[in-house]
Amino acid sequence: MRPCGVFDKSYAQDIAIVRTWQHWTILISALIVLYLFPLFGSYYLTSFMNLLAISVIAVLGLQIVSGYCGQISFGQAAFMAIGAYTSSVLTIHFGVSFWLALPLSGIVAGAVGIIGGAPSLRIKGMYLAMATIAIHFVVIWLILHLDITGSFKGLYPPYPSVGGFEFDTDERMYYIIMTVMVIMTYAARNLMRTKVGRAFVAIRDNDLAGEVMGVNLYHYKLLAFFIACFYAGIAGSLWAHLITVVNAEQFTLLHALEYVGMLIIGGMGSIPGVFFGVLFIRILNEAVMFTSPALAKSLPWLGTSPAAALGLIAFGLAVIIFLIFEPRGLAHRWEIFKASYRLYPFAY
Amino acid sequence: MKKKCLLFLVIAAWVGLSLGVFSTASFAEEKEVIYLSLADYTGPIAGLNVPADMGLEDYIKEINAKGGVEGITIKFIGIDTRYDVARAVSAYKRYRRTPRLLMVNSISTGIGKALARLIEKDKRAQLVPGDGEFQAHLGRTFIWGPAYQDAFAAIMGWVMDDWKAKGKSGAPVVGYLSWDNPYGREPLRGGKEYAESRGIKVLPPEFFPPGTLKHDVYLTRLAEGGADYIYAGGVDPTPTNVIRDAYALGLTKRIQFLNGYWGPTALGIGIHADALEGTAIVSFFQRGTDALMNKEPTELWKKYRGALDAYNEVYGMGMSWAMTYVAGVKEALKEVGYKKLNADEVYKAYQRITGFERAGIQGPCAYSPSSRRGSLEVKIYRVKGGKIMPITDWRKVPDAVSLHTF
Repeated sequence: MRPCGVFDKSYAQDIAIVRTWQHWTILISALIVLYLFPLFGSYYLTSFMNLLAISVIAVLGLQIVSGYCGQISFGQAAFMAIGAYTSSVLTIHFGVSFWLALPLSGIVAGAVGIIGGAPSLRIKGMYLAMATIAIHFVVIWLILHLDITGSFKGLYPPYPSVGGFEFDTDERMYYIIMTVMVIMTYAARNLMRTKVGRAFVAIRDNDLAGEVMGVNLYHYKLLAFFIACFYAGIAGSLWAHLITVVNAEQFTLLHALEYVGMLIIGGMGSIPGVFFGVLFIRILNEAVMFTSPALAKSLPWLGTSPAAALGLIAFGLAVIIFLIFEPRGLAHRWEIFKASYRLYPFAY
Repeated sequence: MKKKCLLFLVIAAWVGLSLGVFSTASFAEEKEVIYLSLADYTGPIAGLNVPADMGLEDYIKEINAKGGVEGITIKFIGIDTRYDVARAVSAYKRYRRTPRLLMVNSISTGIGKALARLIEKDKRAQLVPGDGEFQAHLGRTFIWGPAYQDAFAAIMGWVMDDWKAKGKSGAPVVGYLSWDNPYGREPLRGGKEYAESRGIKVLPPEFFPPGTLKHDVYLTRLAEGGADYIYAGGVDPTPTNVIRDAYALGLTKRIQFLNGYWGPTALGIGIHADALEGTAIVSFFQRGTDALMNKEPTELWKKYRGALDAYNEVYGMGMSWAMTYVAGVKEALKEVGYKKLNADEVYKAYQRITGFERAGIQGPCAYSPSSRRGSLEVKIYRVKGGKIMPITDWRKVPDAVSLHTF
């Protein structure tokens, strides 16, 4: 929907992601703020932004396979682990540069994702969900039992570097992570405007009808899994080189569930929804951590651990309340806001 | 509309309450030092962590009520990581640059490993449960008591005594069963070497994911392998559940079950006393009847928590952490005074409080320039008639860490 009085005059205008000069202004300003953020943001906020961006990349992948292609997956944390370990193994054991290890970790995770996605050709819904959970446990078991992954001891990958300059702080890593996030977001947004993106949506909405129309289910479902796992692999690689230690405990099924939760809260089938979902869950998590000690101090009879549990309850309550009032996700609320803003001063 | 108003009021009250505290805290001009606990209050080791941090917090309250450490108030910050490394790293980064954050207790082997590099970089010190790697590679990470492998070796020593006392010849066969994670495998790194040096045959270990509900397959395999003793790792209630399954299989009649530090506490005993009967536990802190007879922690419990019915012995361990922290801060203050007091000075001070006594809750402090072990002694306990009772006095642990190449 365009703002009142704005019309598309060509096909190029019609399909453009950034449509008006106001859009361009907002986008460029946002990018400037994003890249200048470490200069005025605190250390904590910068490190928090890194965590947000890595989660965004992982959830973007999940959005593609689940939100757009309709293939439910609880394997995203495991594929992140594959990316993290691939990158660590390549840099530690083979001396490969981080800059090469980063895309390779995405490709390896994507390739494993194709194997993981194979069951989607025969099963769907809850059955597929169960299959992806099984993949999660297989991956984690392998990590814990292979020598090359450091077994239970984990691995200590190095910080990325360029000609002797090490990205050894959160502030330095920020620029790498944000650049990757911006590129990956643009790629995901663009993908949805292509034939591939439309095929994904056709499969999600009605795979049988899609197949009748000529969509090759075999090809596109596996492609969706490849792309989703590629994203997870990239996120895993960034995570590994940010904290410079990886072990299997960092990639639990709870993380996979959290990513699915981010998707539902943000809104299935929406790129901005990914950002909303990640922001909502991560900020709520941080808010719980931030307020629990304060609650414990203001209510001394309660003690610290029950106060932390209260935080968890608050988190659960917030999610439930949210789901009752806006089950289509925050992205839907955003769409409503945009529509009313663009139609102003008219009601419809 | 009413619903929205109510929702708004609840959120506003919650935020307001928190902000109110922040504002008073920031305007207050008191001398303060911080202790950060990256704890698990709602995850898989909450059963251990909640009572431990209660002991820690109550002792700190007591010290603060008496005027603090030489007039300095201790601020305790407890963060619920839910045993999640990413949450713990994020939480540490939130407080990383807080002035006077003098000690971080990373309550999980995985979290400790993840934070170790940052801790080194920040010239701070952290505490972790019992990972021997931190003794093998001396750095800024201290462990709470002897390393896991030391304790495993100690109970292997007891196994040999027990075997001989039963009049049996040769050496026993020991099975090992624990969580499939870094913590679960740690006791064998050095512990296995020690056992084998004593002639004990250690069967191929069995590992299972944390959260597993039934352990029959693993137990049956170990039993069929000829185990005379089975060491069940994991944090309570996991060891309790393992032995519950063994009891149901009839294995507890012919196999002696052993547990590590986090084996059955009052929590597990209260649920499966019959199944646990006869189980031996190696512990670096006082357990069961021993713990109940120690006046200092029990009096503190009564003062802040009420009747002793719900007392958990892990409470004493938490109190011991706080006592060590107070001693460390005092030692650092003696050396540099409040103005120059920082995390690095406390790290150095921890290495000078060798021999410090903690109300008998655990052995004398063993931190030193060449030791990151919190103490060197363990006791062996046994479940008898639904109670955990000591069957040995404090005994020094063998140095199993040095037997393994890390």
